[in-house]
Formats: sequence, C-alpha cells, structure tokens
Amino acid sequence: MIEVDVKQGVLAANAAAAATLRAKFEASGTLVVNLISSPGSGKTTLLEKTAAALKASLRLGALEGDIATERDAERLRRMGIPARQILTGGSCHLDARLVGRALAEEGPALAGLDILFIENVGNLICPTSYDLGEDFKVVLLSVTEGEDKPFKYPAIFSKAAVTVVTKTDLLPYVPFDLTAAREQVRALNPEGTLVEVSATTGAGMDAWLSLLTEKLAAKRVKKLVGAASA
Amino acid sequence: MHEMGLAIEIRRIAREAVASRGPGRIEIVRIAVGELSAVEPDLLGFAWAAAVAGTEDAASKLEVDFRPARQTCTACGEIAGRAPGSWLRLCPRCGDALTVSGGDDLDVLRVVFEESVPAGGAGS
Repeated sequence: MIEVDVKQGVLAANAAAAATLRAKFEASGTLVVNLISSPGSGKTTLLEKTAAALKASLRLGALEGDIATERDAERLRRMGIPARQILTGGSCHLDARLVGRALAEEGPALAGLDILFIENVGNLICPTSYDLGEDFKVVLLSVTEGEDKPFKYPAIFSKAAVTVVTKTDLLPYVPFDLTAAREQVRALNPEGTLVEVSATTGAGMDAWLSLLTEKLAAKRVKKLVGAASA
Repeated sequence: MHEMGLAIEIRRIAREAVASRGPGRIEIVRIAVGELSAVEPDLLGFAWAAAVAGTEDAASKLEVDFRPARQTCTACGEIAGRAPGSWLRLCPRCGDALTVSGGDDLDVLRVVFEESVPAGGAGS
C-alpha cells in the first residue's frame, strides 16, 4: 500500500475556471450577478423588469440555467436583451466551465456587457458551492415561500451579498412575517443588503436598480484606479 | 444533490495522484469536509460508491475528516456548544456580530492505493 498526500481542493478545477472568467469580466468592466433561489420565486420576472428599466442606458445580457427548455432565455430575448440558455440536463447547478463554454459559443453577443446576469438553476443548496466568476450572489425569497427559508437554507443566505424579497404585492394574502424574514437574514449575514420588491407593481424596484448601477459604478471606478496606479 | 458531481471530481483527483506513480487500485481516499461546506458526508459516501462501482476502485473507501467551524464574539469569546451547521453570525448572548472561521473545507487530503502489476509484467 502506498500513501500519497494530495491536499487539493475538490472544487479546484471549478475555482480555476471561475478565476479565468473573473479576469475576463474584470478586463471588460462587466458586472456579473449570480441569481440563486428556489424554483418559481421570480428570478426571470425580476430580470424581465430589470431589462425593461435599464436596457436603454446599459448593455445587459443573461445566461439562463435550467434542467430543460429554452423558455427563460426566450422571455428575456423578448424583452430586448441577448440571452442564452444553458441546459444542464439534470444537474442541479451551474459551474464555471458551463458558463465559460456558453460565453465562448455565444461570442460577441454576450461580450463586453455592462451587466451579465447569470440565472442559476432553481435550487437553494447546490448552486451555493460553485463560484461562477461573479461579483456577487443574489438570493431571492418570495413571500409565498415562507419567512423561515433563511434559517432552513443558511448557506446561500449567508453567502449572498444581496437578498431580494420578491412578490411583496402578495403580502396581504399570505402569512409571511416580513419582520422575521429580515431578522433571519440579518442574523446570517449582518453585512448583506436586503431589498424588497414587487416586480408586478414596481414597488421597491428603484432600490434594486440603484443597487445594480451603484455596484457597476464601483467596479468601473476600481478598475480605473487600478489602471492609474499600475 | 451535487454530491454525485463532487464524488466524480474526487475520484478524478485521486486517480491523477495514483497515475503519477504508476498503475494502482485506490483503497482509501481521505477528504476534509467542513461544517459549512454544504456537503452531507453520508450522501457523499453513497455517491462515492456509485462513482467507483464497476471500476478498479470499486472496493475503495471514502474517509471523511469532519472540520467544524469556529464562531467568536469580540465580547463573549468563542461560542461553544452551538448546534452543528449553525450559520448564525450574531452572538446568542450579546447579539453582536460574530466572526466565523474555518468550516469551509472541501479537500482531498490523502490517497492510499495498492500498486498493481502492469499487464504482461512478471511478478516477483
């Protein structure tokens, strides 16, 4: 019997692919947002409304992760932004190699964007572990899911820089304790940002859109400062 | 259930380590799994059995070295005796923000393998 010390991260190959992507996004000044939530919490609807609000002033694009169908990419293309579907064929998350391959195949349509949205496969667990080269993760929590989801799925709520509570127009009709949800998110992620939106009525959308444009501006400034000091 | 993908990746890494030292059959792969790595060690064990079934490594074992996370409050010190997998970042005593360290490990530590005689080679 022979023993070999290995000491290698299980996700090292994904981390290397993510680092390559991050360097590319850095060079093009593209803000990359990785959206994670359970199925049906409103990721695509939020992106549709975001596209409608920002596409005149910013170059947006999206990668849409799903097990099957082109529906989400089609919905975003109908909103006038380039979008590519990534079909995982059963896998529960996107990884950096899938993202890299999709971007390479799509070519110029998704290159040099201001903001690239990566909509992960609907799942609160597995996507948490895979770095896609993004600037930050966003987790969505719809009020129809119940306010206890942060404590039930703590990994994603503690890792996501931004939590978006969605479908707030339904609050009068569902027993969702918004205060409890805010407290749970804060307990898991004291530095995180929480926004509450209804994509249907538009309530809270300004806060979400400002957050995106501020993060983009911060990334651009950082790049300029880096270039000036280099 | 991303444990299957992880099991396949662990075997790929272990196979690479063996291949660099000649042909062999994997006996044991020792890995570190952190409390906060979002990996369920039992599920990973099942996934490992599936990943090696029907291969030369079918009899191999995946050994898990579980690594807890540590939570420290600036005022109250280290928080002991909390529930496993707890992600809370607020001190249960004073409500201040806690510092979390470690517990995010997910590494292949060591591979133990049995050298196999190359096909056609003479045994000694």
